[in-house]
Amino acid sequence: MSAASTPIAAIGETRLLPEHVDNALISEQVSRVTETEAPLGWWIYFGISLMGLGVLGVSVSYLFWEGIGAWGNNSPAGWAWDITNFVWWIGIGHAGTLISAILFLFRQRWRTSVNRFAEAMTIFAVICALLFPSIHVGRPWHIYYTLPLPNQMWMWPNFKSPLLWDVFAVSTYFTVSLLFWYVGLIPDLATVRDRAKSLTRKRAYGAFALGWRGSNRHWRNYERAYLILAALSTPLVLSVHSVVSFDFATSVMPGWHTTIFPPYFVAGAVFSGFAMVMTLMIIARQVYDLKDLMTMKHLENMNKIMLVTGSLVGYAYSMEFFIAWYSGNEYERYVFINRATGPYWWAYWWMVTCNVISPQLFWFKRCRTSIPIMFAISILINIGMWFERFVIIVTSLHRDYLPSSWGYFSPTIVDIGCFVGSLGLFFTAFALFIRWLPQIAMFEVKAIVPGSQPSHHGPSHHEAPAGAPALATKEA
Amino acid sequence: MNKEKPSRSGSKIFWRSLEEKAQATSTEVGSDVVKATIGLGELNRLNRRNFLTLSGAIGTLAGIEGCIRRPAEKILPYSQTPADVNPGEALHYATVLRRREESVGILATCYEGRPTKLEGNPDHPTSQGGTDLLLQAEILELYDPDRARTPSKGGIEKSYAAFDAMLDDELGRLLGKRGAGLRILSQPTNSPSFMRLRQRVMQRFPEARFHNYAPVNDDNVRAGTSAAFGRPLEVLPRFDQAKVVLALDSDFLMTETGAVQAARQFGAKRHLDSAAGEMNRLYAVEPSLSVTGSNADHRLRLKASAIGEYLKGLAAELAAAGVPIPGLDAAVRGAKVEGIPETWLKAVAKELASHRGESLVVVGSRQPAAVHGLAHAINRALGNSGRTVSYTAPADAGARPSLEDIKALTADMVAGKVDTLIILGGNPVYDAPADLGFGEALNKVNISLAVTSHRNETADRTDWHLPRAHELESWGDQLSRAGRYAIQQPLIAALFDSRSDLDVLAALAASEQRGQALVRETAGERGIAEELAWQHLVQKGADERDAAQIFGGLPIQAGSLAQVLSAPAGGGEGLEAVFLTDNKLFDGRYTNNTWLLELPDPMTRITWDNAALLSPAGAKGLGVNNGDMVRVSAGDASVEMAAWIQPGMADGTVGLPLGWGRRKGGSNFHGAGFDVYPLRKSDAADIVQNVTVEKIRGSYSLSQTQDHDSMEGRPLAVDATLQEYRETPNFGQFASPDMSAGPLWQTQDYSQGQQWGMVIDLNGCIGCSACAVACQAENNVPVVGKEQVAKGREMHWLRLDRYYVGEDENEPEVAYQPIGCQHCEEAPCENVCPVNATSHSPEGLNDIAYNRCIGTRYCMNNCPYKVRRFNFLNFNLDIPETRQMQHNPSVTVRFRGVIEKCSYCVQRIQGARIVASREGREIADGDVVAACQQACPTGAIAFGNINDPNSAVSAKREVDRNYGLLSDVGTRPRTRFLGKIRNPNPEMKG
Repeated sequence: MSAASTPIAAIGETRLLPEHVDNALISEQVSRVTETEAPLGWWIYFGISLMGLGVLGVSVSYLFWEGIGAWGNNSPAGWAWDITNFVWWIGIGHAGTLISAILFLFRQRWRTSVNRFAEAMTIFAVICALLFPSIHVGRPWHIYYTLPLPNQMWMWPNFKSPLLWDVFAVSTYFTVSLLFWYVGLIPDLATVRDRAKSLTRKRAYGAFALGWRGSNRHWRNYERAYLILAALSTPLVLSVHSVVSFDFATSVMPGWHTTIFPPYFVAGAVFSGFAMVMTLMIIARQVYDLKDLMTMKHLENMNKIMLVTGSLVGYAYSMEFFIAWYSGNEYERYVFINRATGPYWWAYWWMVTCNVISPQLFWFKRCRTSIPIMFAISILINIGMWFERFVIIVTSLHRDYLPSSWGYFSPTIVDIGCFVGSLGLFFTAFALFIRWLPQIAMFEVKAIVPGSQPSHHGPSHHEAPAGAPALATKEA
Repeated sequence: MNKEKPSRSGSKIFWRSLEEKAQATSTEVGSDVVKATIGLGELNRLNRRNFLTLSGAIGTLAGIEGCIRRPAEKILPYSQTPADVNPGEALHYATVLRRREESVGILATCYEGRPTKLEGNPDHPTSQGGTDLLLQAEILELYDPDRARTPSKGGIEKSYAAFDAMLDDELGRLLGKRGAGLRILSQPTNSPSFMRLRQRVMQRFPEARFHNYAPVNDDNVRAGTSAAFGRPLEVLPRFDQAKVVLALDSDFLMTETGAVQAARQFGAKRHLDSAAGEMNRLYAVEPSLSVTGSNADHRLRLKASAIGEYLKGLAAELAAAGVPIPGLDAAVRGAKVEGIPETWLKAVAKELASHRGESLVVVGSRQPAAVHGLAHAINRALGNSGRTVSYTAPADAGARPSLEDIKALTADMVAGKVDTLIILGGNPVYDAPADLGFGEALNKVNISLAVTSHRNETADRTDWHLPRAHELESWGDQLSRAGRYAIQQPLIAALFDSRSDLDVLAALAASEQRGQALVRETAGERGIAEELAWQHLVQKGADERDAAQIFGGLPIQAGSLAQVLSAPAGGGEGLEAVFLTDNKLFDGRYTNNTWLLELPDPMTRITWDNAALLSPAGAKGLGVNNGDMVRVSAGDASVEMAAWIQPGMADGTVGLPLGWGRRKGGSNFHGAGFDVYPLRKSDAADIVQNVTVEKIRGSYSLSQTQDHDSMEGRPLAVDATLQEYRETPNFGQFASPDMSAGPLWQTQDYSQGQQWGMVIDLNGCIGCSACAVACQAENNVPVVGKEQVAKGREMHWLRLDRYYVGEDENEPEVAYQPIGCQHCEEAPCENVCPVNATSHSPEGLNDIAYNRCIGTRYCMNNCPYKVRRFNFLNFNLDIPETRQMQHNPSVTVRFRGVIEKCSYCVQRIQGARIVASREGREIADGDVVAACQQACPTGAIAFGNINDPNSAVSAKREVDRNYGLLSDVGTRPRTRFLGKIRNPNPEMKG
């Protein structure tokens, strides 16, 4: 222990990074991933992902050739896996912005190790999410009708339709997330450029680094831009999934028509997003040996958030049931009884087991800090959240008002292909990201290394200047 | 042609191949069109504006041809425009079609010489504007691409010249023998021309014989009148005169002869404009739940063989109630009625006795002659004869009963007495009684010829086959049972080189006349010789009056009837099978008809298949579930088929729907259903005793459009008893109240202009499904196939929901509810469409712009009625050319990826609007008739302008029992229902 750590402990703070971590080590550990040959593990991971992407190509081609009938969708289940996947991916896409923007505004400095990761994940998840509404329409070649393009017919989209709100909400979210991610990447791209040995690397990274020299003015502009983008993104975190939930909440279908959906969906989105970040982080941490930068402290904090949000969705599930009973609406009641006991009972109980029961293990510190357990739970939550969307969409639709029209949805191989394929797309993009871009925000992590913050109070105070705490406080 | 010449229009010649260039380019044809529209005179005075218009049009035409690949087509204008034919404008022609033993007047809608839709002829008494399921589907039969196109010998196509040479040869040989060995098997006929030509053939070949056979026939009906009155007669019930109807194994609303007329009359007695109204009461006793039974106020499930005993028991009770049946006291005494509830004897007898002259006992054609005979005697004793039932002589008075005739013919064939056999229509190899071995017997015939529309099972076994012309493309004439003489005129030149029965007979009779001349000569003999009178007859479709002598009160020949009655009834303790005339395929002649194949059966809701129908207890006893395979055996014959549990079946009965499992002559029915004809013997053609049903390995996947039979206690198809209705006239509103709160946004003002609305009287809906097929025919609704139905992707714009009501699965009450788009004033579908593809018209229609639809299916999800259909695949791909001819040109054929649904027949509204505006008036009530409304035989559907206080639909909307389906969701549906009223007899309780 160095002398510097004594006052930290005294004021109730803990280190976010091990003591031996310094700026050089950060630059080296993060940048070298992009500079050296990829390890075998990466190639295996990339190969499998690429195969998944191939499945997507084949599935979507077949879908476009045959029509939506290639899927299992029917009447009454006009939507099934397509929109389930859409909502699932959108939900996953929430963690990135939440970590980047909201935790940034709340000065949660532990976020620095995970934010880049989470943001990249957001971008790719939103791409996957955008895929599904685009391919789920019957005539995808006319999808541009949803855009408010001036035309000679004076024909505008229907601004009353939640699907249109989706178009705006998701595309806005995607744009802002992309900008946010890219702006945050610029200083690190410059670092990689500066370390580059070959001209190609210099040119490529240099182009994307936009001439970053790290001057005082650059940093000032950067900080301003990042703050503004964070402020812009924060409401989006809440709005996007609220808007997505309006697809259901504004309808007249029992099981959909409910006011609890916006907060319930946002909580679920954060829940699933964190689970996916966790899954990916644990893999990257093992493969690239980044344990120094993604510490158990990070993982544990994330597990706590999952415990909270998991309990929130559990509350929402039970409240839905209560309201269905309390409303006295027979259609509503039937939908909920049917969820738990009808033909899709297994989906419902999968959902409850994965989403409500499994995160309760995180009450125990042993579980919270065990890599295998948290990995398993993060996978379960991913599955559970997929089932949640499936339950909401398919079990509500398959038995609605008129029993004469009740039906049953079964997926086809193309349904499965599109879903597996979207995972392939996601993981392929992710593989390319960790291979070629700094997967941890180096300059942000450096800012929490002791001694990195300017100070004129002498060595014993330099870690905790007012206004820009280099360390996470327990209270925060 | 004009290789060097520049095009006349002065534009460049566009071509894609040398062949094309060598031909006159169609660009020129296009420019001709433009010229024609502008007028040549005007061309000479080209001003700047005209020049620009012209060159723009030419440029566009040329440009389009350059861009889009399409096959070269010749556009040939009429050199002489036919009178009255305007492209896009429908013309209606009267004709007549045969349904079972009855002829039904038809009005056919034709576009540019193509009939596209059939409606009932309001001037014809057996239709009165109504149709049934099969008549609606008949148009598809005409355009069936699987119809045979050329004569053939042994399956090898031959020319008519070859055929005629063979026939001349053969006839020459037969002439020498005075026709000995010549046999002609036709279907039972009601055509005066057929009978006249038959006479001519018999004159030429005195030793020849005519036979007739139909697998579903009225043999028993005529045998019944023979037993009762001593002569075969047609029975003409008058349901519109009967306050109490007792139907014994009679599906008079659906499958019996004269069903269209019966449904009209029955419906008229169930119209209730207010709670003070009166309605009839229907008792049904039957082994299998039929459409008629499902409409009964009281229904008794009883084995078919026990129905005679029940009627005897009832007769005895009637005598006790003061209605003795003269001469039959002894015969009806001691009926075996154990197990039959007391009330079904006493209360029904009391009811009948108190409705003398206004009650009616009808017996289905499945029941033996004795039951028919006794029913006639009861009707006479009740004073119903001449009031609610009358009789006429059959049109073809000398015809032998079908079954007897085919037996005689087959026996002669086996004995080698038949030299030449000509089969005119029908499919005896498939549907003749199995024990006769008609197919094998054909081998013993020297030359056999089948004249059938398709190369069916029979044509497959005969030496020669000749394509038979469809009734809609050939001349003919028919007499209704009451003797209404009607002309069957062709609506289109024969699609394929085919011949009608009359043409074949004329050839046999060595007559040079064909088609119209044959019919005209018959008409001349009937006193319609003048050109004007003939034209009037053809135009009207039928004579002004019924020609047959109607008998009211014929004396009962009690002695012989008592003798028939004293014969022991066949029923035993064993399991018995009843052959059911299929609700959709009839006897199997419609088995290639995709509309009918895909239509859910009115009772089972199964599409594309039939199944052995078992009672719930029977199925439980066998350990059989829906779709399990069973082996049904009768004697030495057995059939393996899927089983289906049908609520309301009599225990100890298995129902076997006829007409399925065909093998030859079509491409649509392969794998559809199971053929039960092998179980049908000549001595047990209707009811088979002592059959066994055993479960065998395997199960079969049956596709249903509706797999949930219960309303789950929801107020959907709302019903009440007459008593309840009188106590609470607005019971519909109680069950399904209209929402009083408005939506959050400003509502549309619908108080102005024409506002279209529909009212469906559930009391009139008998569940026949004619409306569903009519909608399909009118709106180019595609057929999707069994697999897609199983996935829940059927496209029917109008569907018929069928619910079972009540706890007892053996005694279900049935509620039907036709559901098309409800045209909600606050339509949930419209709000959610992101591209505004579906929106409300100012006239209150929920419209879809197919071109705008991108297919998000959000509207379909948000429709509480689930009436919106999505083209999951391209269901209209590769439609055969002939099939395309049926398409209604006023309705878009939809591509994959778009939503579609009931449009309230908007094309008919627009058509009526054009006519009205041309005549300078508003659309009057009755100008717009929706396809479903038009087809409905009971008139249960009203449609029109709800802002017109005098319209029929407004009057219906005022009826107290009206309600909106799921009104509490806030949709404000434009379609409203009138609650169903059941009329149970209070004395029948307990």
